[in-house]
Amino acid sequence: MIDPIRKTLLAIRSLPFYPAFQTRVKYLTIDAILSFFGPAFEAVSSRVPEIKGELAQWEDGRRFAVGVLPDGPFITLEKRGDMVYYLGKGLHEPEISMLFKNLDAAIPVFVGIHGSFKAFAENRVLVKGNLAHTMEVNRIVNIVNAYLFPALVHHRVLKRPPRFTLAQTFTKARVYGGLIPAVIRHMI
Amino acid sequence: MMPNYYQHYCPVKILSGSHAVSNIPYELETLGCSRAMVVTDKGVAGAGLLTIVREAFSDASCTIGCIFDKTPVDSSNHVVNELAGLFIENGCDCFVAVGGGSVIDTAKGANIVVSEGTDDILKLQGNEVIRKELLPMISVPTTSGTGSEVTKVAVIYNEDMKVKMSFVSDKLYSKVAVLDPRMTMTVPPRITAATGMDVLTHAIEAYTCLQKNPIDDIFARAAIELVRKYLIRAVEEGRDEEARLAMANASLFAGIAFSNSMVGMVHSLAHACGGVCHIPHGIANAILLPFVLEYNLDSIPQYISEIAPMLGGSAFNGEPKQGALNTIALVRGMLDKLRVISGLPIRLSEAGVPEDKLPDIARAGINDGSLVFNPVEADYDDALGVLKRAF
Repeated sequence: MIDPIRKTLLAIRSLPFYPAFQTRVKYLTIDAILSFFGPAFEAVSSRVPEIKGELAQWEDGRRFAVGVLPDGPFITLEKRGDMVYYLGKGLHEPEISMLFKNLDAAIPVFVGIHGSFKAFAENRVLVKGNLAHTMEVNRIVNIVNAYLFPALVHHRVLKRPPRFTLAQTFTKARVYGGLIPAVIRHMI
Repeated sequence: MMPNYYQHYCPVKILSGSHAVSNIPYELETLGCSRAMVVTDKGVAGAGLLTIVREAFSDASCTIGCIFDKTPVDSSNHVVNELAGLFIENGCDCFVAVGGGSVIDTAKGANIVVSEGTDDILKLQGNEVIRKELLPMISVPTTSGTGSEVTKVAVIYNEDMKVKMSFVSDKLYSKVAVLDPRMTMTVPPRITAATGMDVLTHAIEAYTCLQKNPIDDIFARAAIELVRKYLIRAVEEGRDEEARLAMANASLFAGIAFSNSMVGMVHSLAHACGGVCHIPHGIANAILLPFVLEYNLDSIPQYISEIAPMLGGSAFNGEPKQGALNTIALVRGMLDKLRVISGLPIRLSEAGVPEDKLPDIARAGINDGSLVFNPVEADYDDALGVLKRAF
């Protein structure tokens, strides 16, 4: 039974258009996740005190981008006041860019199979810009991940899974409540 | 345990042993170079080590175009930019760095500026940002510590932000690393001890941090064993040629290991100690190493435990945590001995760090890129906790 399935899969994979199709699917998957991640970042930063504490050290207008080389997708975010705002898809003159070297390097991080720390450790991310500022970005990405991902996957995506207090759990519920409106607002 | 994925790269030709410096002109000519810029510092020049380099060039067609001997202890972006200007002014086509980590990193920085055709090193900050091939560079370490002669990293002090910045790129490797025992003979005992502990820190962090891999484990093991065998000898008897060459090799092996496996929290905090209080890098590493090993203990007891036999302890077959504690005790034993024979400080307070600066160091430490590779997460409070214990 397994052989016919394997043979069929092999036949599909050997079709001339398959590599391009597969790449397109990966691209669209990451594009969809980033389209969610940008507004979600905004939603988390507007509600979570830990992020506001980190952002207090940043200069206003600092922009950072996350994306995949060579052709994207990319998103750019900007610190204004005590929040991070999503500027949309593409690279909009970021001061710091965290760019995965290819789509295969990015997918495990974006779907929560492993954390960005592992991607860094495996040399799968290229960083452009001030490394100290990149570390600051990395810390708030970790906070966002802690609030976005369910506790079930925290041990995979974070080096040290957080132990949420009751207040933080309540904040997480508020973040989840604000996600859909944030995404819709950016789609309109 | 095999890592899910790893990379290893080291394209450096290594010349190690008696009169290795004499081969520098030949190597430069092979690389198509004719006019070298020699980068060094006052200490190296004052110790007469430049004479050895000059002698090597005396009968060669490749000449020394310019000697820059003003590299400070913590070289800055301004020094790098100045050096790049001098390189162009003097029509040089390659770098020969003769000195410790600061000298070699300054030459790497100037090479980036010249090769990329920019006027400011700060424009090329980041990881793997450099795109152009750099000009040939030969590194001659005069201390056995940084391993910078075989690393893809340049650490430059940002005078404006008061932090040490890391530039990381595969383009930053020297073409040739030259280990000549004559070049490290004059290093005083205390600096020999500090730089030797720097080697040990590189090797131990490479062996225990997140980018650990089977190839670099081999280099790290070899480095740790050489340090165990030769560091005390090199400190006690500086003219011991075998010990000096062994330590130079240990430094190089550890350099290869950490250039690929990277380093962790010891280096994050040591860079911050350098940036905030100008504590020499080797001394900061030596002080912090046992405290960070304790901090990481619960996460990687097995890896820390495996180091004990390399340091001359017995292999531990029981609980890995007990073995790891044994490793930490062996590191402390080595530090205590170095303190007695060379005056190496083993506490931040002894090294001249004011207690009220610890929060600044912790803040700078958590912004250092090395922290990403530490196996255990560390925030400001964690970093401050380690610093307080090491004070």
